[in-house]
Amino acid sequence: MPQEPSSPLTEKKTLIIGLGNILKGDDGIGVRVAEILSQRELPAGVAVEEVGTPGIDLMNRFEGWQKVILVDAVQMGAKPGTWRRFSPQDVRLIANGNVLSLHEPDLASVLELAQALNMLPDEIVIYGVEPQDLTFMAPLSSPVEAIINVIAEQILSEIWK
Amino acid sequence: MSKRIDVHHVTRVEGHGNIVVEVENGNLTTCRFEVVETPRFFEAMLLGRPYHEASHITSRICGICATGHATASLRATEKALGVTLSEQSWLLRKLTFHGEILDSHILHVYMLVAPDFLGVGSVIPLVNTHPEVVLRALRMKKLAGDICAAVTGRHTHPIAMTVGGFTHFPTTAELESLHKRLVESRKDLDATVELFSKLSWPEFERDTEYVSLSKPDEYAYIDGDIVTTDGVRVPPERYKEVTNEFLVPHSTAKFTRNKRESLMVGALARFNNNYDQLHPKAKEAATALGMKPKVTNTFLNSAAQVVEIVHSTEDAILIIEKLLERGIQAEEPAPVTRMPGEGVGVADVPRGLLIHHYQIGEDGRITGANCIIPTNQNINNLEHDMRVLVPQVMHKDQEAMRLDLEMLVRAYDPCISCSVHVLTIK
Repeated sequence: MPQEPSSPLTEKKTLIIGLGNILKGDDGIGVRVAEILSQRELPAGVAVEEVGTPGIDLMNRFEGWQKVILVDAVQMGAKPGTWRRFSPQDVRLIANGNVLSLHEPDLASVLELAQALNMLPDEIVIYGVEPQDLTFMAPLSSPVEAIINVIAEQILSEIWK
Repeated sequence: MSKRIDVHHVTRVEGHGNIVVEVENGNLTTCRFEVVETPRFFEAMLLGRPYHEASHITSRICGICATGHATASLRATEKALGVTLSEQSWLLRKLTFHGEILDSHILHVYMLVAPDFLGVGSVIPLVNTHPEVVLRALRMKKLAGDICAAVTGRHTHPIAMTVGGFTHFPTTAELESLHKRLVESRKDLDATVELFSKLSWPEFERDTEYVSLSKPDEYAYIDGDIVTTDGVRVPPERYKEVTNEFLVPHSTAKFTRNKRESLMVGALARFNNNYDQLHPKAKEAATALGMKPKVTNTFLNSAAQVVEIVHSTEDAILIIEKLLERGIQAEEPAPVTRMPGEGVGVADVPRGLLIHHYQIGEDGRITGANCIIPTNQNINNLEHDMRVLVPQVMHKDQEAMRLDLEMLVRAYDPCISCSVHVLTIK
């Protein structure tokens, strides 16, 4: 069953969510990072889960958390393996125009809808990684593989600070 | 006078498909639905894998039809290896399947179809104009997801559903809570039927061969014969006699046809074949929506989904009552009784008939796999519908024509590709 927030010993109850489809090469980056973090010690009030490709249901995972950290493949037009930490306000996310579909769960649209419905947590942070290969059954590409631990450590330092 | 409608990547459908229509001097010269990607990778993915991995791999192909893929996959394996499910396992399989039917249909009718009729471009402006509609949809969708999570361990990829049964069981308290919420959701069902019965569906008729599963004792979602409105009935093992796949140059998906030029699968096909087995309240909903079989207006596929939302809710309530009466047992999955083997698993998933066909070798690894996806079966029918629709709407301006065609595509609830979900940042 999905994890629920535990007692709030830290500043903010924080949920780290790994997104992506592990069958589609670098699209699985969020899931891989979540797998690593789930093996590490986390502060009380912090949980991690991988949710695959939940589409609009991602919103339901926000309930009860003050901060949500999303890890996902993001096409930024950068070199594969490049990663950035940003908030939804920092950048304009374009995902399929102003529409909602589910196979491309359209993180931007889901966040916009959550905002319109007042369902966003206080803070959202997105760790985005530029993918190289998104074909079915491809392994993680070497530039993306090389960055997994870096992102995991970065998130750990963010939540332990 | 010539018009060209060229819609690249139709929105509010799952995946990438293009509409290409050309009209010259009042004559339709080109009419294609181009599929630019397709999940025809299943076979390669499964070859050499141990049989118990197949359902987990195939469920990952799709974020919406995860339970449907897992169900068809498990049935193929279970038939190949002589596995007989317990009564409890059957009840749980059916219950979680209802959860997915509800989840998928609610998403489609509310988030993808309703905006066309309510005069907005997507669900996001709908929050401002019809907030109660969006909140209701989300409430219903959450309940559907919670059914899947309680039965199979989590919402999307049913981790606890395995060959021979389950590795996790819902608690009595979880089932009681779901039962209460499902009963309470009847007021949302009423509101849903009312909303969709007031929409003015486009007038359109084109009879085709409607293909679905059928069982003697229930509205068929898992197992059963493959039947058509043209009187064909074959067991799942003879699926190729109905699907008759063929290739066309403009599509990477295989097309299908049987008795006629094309065939249709999905909620409308199930409704037309199995209306008698719908729950009485679902039949009432059909009446409110003005539907009685045989319905030949493709746009009403979405209305048939509304009927099925009522049916699946009511049947889920009955199944939970049965489970509570029996008491949930933490039983071991039923054993494999033979190896090697070959089996065909069928499930009538939200978008229609899904077929998984596996050969499993002596070492328990998959040596052959064939999967036929609902949308593949529908694309040929969609093109034939377009050929009928275009002459009826070609007097309209280009934008209005384009909207009509997009709505037709969306009526099929097509699932063209699966699960690429990458953000683009500008």
